[in-house]
Amino acid sequence: MIEVKYFGAVAEKTKCAVENVSSSEVSLQELLQDLEAKYQFDSLSFSVAVNQKIVSKAAEYTLKASDIVALLPPFAGG
Amino acid sequence: MNNTARYNRQIILPEIGEDGQFKLSKAKVLLIGAGGLGVAILTYLAAAGVGEIGVVDDDVIEVSNLQRQVIYKSSAVGKYKVDEAKAMVAELNPLIKVNAIAEKLSGKNAISLFEKYDIIVDATDNLQIKYLINDACLVTNKPMVYGSIFRFQGQVSVFNYQNGPTYRCLYPDENSSSANCADAGVIGISVGIIGMLQANEVVKMILGIGEVLNGKILVYNILNNEQQKYDFEKNVSIVIDSTIFEEKYVSNEKTIKEIEAEAVLNEMTNDEILFLDVRNVDELPKLNFKNGIQIPLMNLENEMDKLNPNQTIYIYCQSGIRSKMAVEQLQKKNFKNIKSISGGALALNQLLKKESLSN
Repeated sequence: MIEVKYFGAVAEKTKCAVENVSSSEVSLQELLQDLEAKYQFDSLSFSVAVNQKIVSKAAEYTLKASDIVALLPPFAGG
Repeated sequence: MNNTARYNRQIILPEIGEDGQFKLSKAKVLLIGAGGLGVAILTYLAAAGVGEIGVVDDDVIEVSNLQRQVIYKSSAVGKYKVDEAKAMVAELNPLIKVNAIAEKLSGKNAISLFEKYDIIVDATDNLQIKYLINDACLVTNKPMVYGSIFRFQGQVSVFNYQNGPTYRCLYPDENSSSANCADAGVIGISVGIIGMLQANEVVKMILGIGEVLNGKILVYNILNNEQQKYDFEKNVSIVIDSTIFEEKYVSNEKTIKEIEAEAVLNEMTNDEILFLDVRNVDELPKLNFKNGIQIPLMNLENEMDKLNPNQTIYIYCQSGIRSKMAVEQLQKKNFKNIKSISGGALALNQLLKKESLSN
């Protein structure tokens, strides 16, 4: 299972802070497409981290079962 | 003697000492924003003896600020935040200097202001200005201490530190939107904690101790006390120099016509003006204009025929960036009477809320 963490306005949309998604050789881009289809982030912008490191959303990366993905939107309050 | 007694408890820390205190006294820090984050940062930097602190904010104190902007008194509602902040520090620590700057940070004043300070602290509450601060820091080669809040979560990082990664490396998408405190809600404790973490980064940089959040973003959740650090790298393809800055923020300001949100309030029921919302359809808050239309910016090019080039059109988005781009696009197609609403739907919504409270 791949763990996906959500923050800020993204977590408001997913209505959960963390979830596990089944992994069968899924690429990062595919995972992001699946999440977009499931939650319709639309105009929400966010950066993506894999194992605590921000990566390009277009990165060619095949996720492993132990990977932790995080969706980090910018915050604006102060 | 006086000074040594005042700072004794931190001077006896081996990491600080007399040398460290001297460094603090020589440091110049510019704080952008005297709201929830800003007052926490200011109070602790001032008490620790940071020699000169500039505070930039053109807001006056509102009663809804008091639950989190804890240095302001109820009796000060209506007064300029920077003046009250300066008066507070004068009593807290008369040994340091505070420059109260009651201006809005813009492309016109950012560079000359930043040049006078060593460290720039972002304690603002909208995304647009964070890009301006970031870019002005790049032009003047100053580190930017970033802090921001979404409800019970906060983010802290230090950008452009020793030529390190910047806000644009972390968040390249300048046209994104995110709710500020007025829309999302906030409790004083979370801005206090995040502001304190920012103050901590400032002090570490001045003293040269510890590890600065360079190329790392700290994300803190006060509801479960979880905190995580994420690494990010410098994107060398992003270049902001003084020419680009000038084009983006200074010359642009002259050519793109803007209208203040206040001036728009009286016109909301005027059906001779078309109000064009260029946000995506899911973006909130929705505003009710007598004569309104929505065309997301990305569709504007293709759907321009829905608009009359001779009509007066006021364009808005969430914060006022995309609406400026829309004005640019339409100007090229000979639209004549078009203006971008400064501050966008967020500014308008805040004014409407205020109006309904006072009625």
